[in-house]
Amino acid sequence: MTYFRAVDPFPLESADHNKLHEFYARLGQGRLSTTRCAGCGRTAWPPRAFCAECCSDRFDWVDLPSAGTVHAFTVQATGLPVGFDGPRVFAIVEVDGHRVFSIIVDGDPSQIAIGQRVSLKPLRVGDDPQGHPRWLPAFTPV
Amino acid sequence: MRKVALVAAGVGKFGVRQATYRDLIWEAGKACFDSAPGLRPKDLEGLVVGSVMPERTAFQSHISSLAAEALGIRPSALSARTEHMCASGTVGIRYAYAFIAAGLADLVMVLGVEKLTQPTSEEAIFNMGTGVDREWEAAFGLTAPPCFALAAQRHMTRYGTTEEQLGLVGVKNHNHAAKNPNAHFNKGATLDQVLCSRMISSPLRLFMCSPITDGAAAVIVASEERARDLTDTPVWIRGTGQALDGFQLTSLPEDYAHWPALQRAAECAYRMAGITAGDVDVAEVHDCFAIAELIAYEELGFCPKGEAGTFVAAGRSDYGGDVVVNPRGGLIGCGHPLGATGVAQAAEIFVQLRDEAGARQVPEASIGLTHNNSGMGEHVVMIYGRQAS
Repeated sequence: MTYFRAVDPFPLESADHNKLHEFYARLGQGRLSTTRCAGCGRTAWPPRAFCAECCSDRFDWVDLPSAGTVHAFTVQATGLPVGFDGPRVFAIVEVDGHRVFSIIVDGDPSQIAIGQRVSLKPLRVGDDPQGHPRWLPAFTPV
Repeated sequence: MRKVALVAAGVGKFGVRQATYRDLIWEAGKACFDSAPGLRPKDLEGLVVGSVMPERTAFQSHISSLAAEALGIRPSALSARTEHMCASGTVGIRYAYAFIAAGLADLVMVLGVEKLTQPTSEEAIFNMGTGVDREWEAAFGLTAPPCFALAAQRHMTRYGTTEEQLGLVGVKNHNHAAKNPNAHFNKGATLDQVLCSRMISSPLRLFMCSPITDGAAAVIVASEERARDLTDTPVWIRGTGQALDGFQLTSLPEDYAHWPALQRAAECAYRMAGITAGDVDVAEVHDCFAIAELIAYEELGFCPKGEAGTFVAAGRSDYGGDVVVNPRGGLIGCGHPLGATGVAQAAEIFVQLRDEAGARQVPEASIGLTHNNSGMGEHVVMIYGRQAS
């Protein structure tokens, strides 16, 4: 028997599983969004269903700009987890004052630079067990 | 609070081991009891086991009870498992310390154990992604190397730290490990070897990184009364501190080469011990990557901020310098079996402060320090002394 063990590395994003399902639904439409606390009005990144400042669990969704600038990045050549190919560009992208952790896809890794403009590129990953599409917020050079 | 000391310590062989999770527990337990003749498992009142991911790597929970049964310990005061990623073992020592200092127990083992290697290395690395945020980080394929690469880039840009200086941490720790039969690597390394090793995540190369390693270690922690009964040379826990800046990478200060939580943890531990950084003779710091050791020198106060590169290049963190850092070989040389690392560091300080470290002995070592980070934003520091106060 061939050695094999599988684990799903992606979030369960649908309304059946996740309070933040609206984030993923909007992402599938090409929109980057996050939560704004209905109690104190703070906008968070990443989105959250509990406000650490005022302890409210009520929140609204707000769209963020779909572009940002590279704040920091590193290229990982080898030693990546199974199922994730290299070279892989991990980046912190500044979007409207928020630092967003993501990856930069579809660019030449050797041409990435701090301060570079990048735009949202929703990345489709494996469907969930019910067959719903799943998305992660990746970025690509402008 | 009551005074608390280590009275026994032992480390099993670290490496890619043809051994089960339980085999590793037996080895560390055997080595620990061998260091304290006259002490037997039935004498202990409990144990704390630091272990991060046996559910993934050994398909096993209920760890503390498994280890207690394997070693013949019948807990009557304390039995628990600590999971705190890379700091799990040291967090276990803090639990035992607090129970004993408070008078809730007198004699407790802390055992750290991790079976990390898997039939394929890609799966072992995949498992390491459990230590970062699944939904917002690990789903992108993030593990530790890119995080510490960001810190290294920042340190190089801001302070002029060089690739050679990062490499010298790898050289020092690989060469120290060559004198430690329990280390994963025993061959030492030259600067050329380190700088020519393959790139993992720029600017961190293979020999600047800790490997995936199996291993276990154990110490026995005792109240003052029991410690003085059991040995003439207990090693006293003098201080401890722990602090958090953040969990997710984007929760940390924008300067990834500045770790204020480590400063706070160290300040707390130093104050409790009544010492300053200059009093530390030997330190086991968390060199999961070379940059982490350099930043630790600065935040622990061994050198001013920004000067860690010249500090290591001048040999000031090696034998004959200001403070010997990572005499057992560090995580780079010994490997980093997560839950075992903090306990193995304590075991090294135990032998160093008893003049039992053989070829690795730091002359006249009187004050020892251990440090772990779990991620870049969370830190724990312990201070040990040859004297109780």
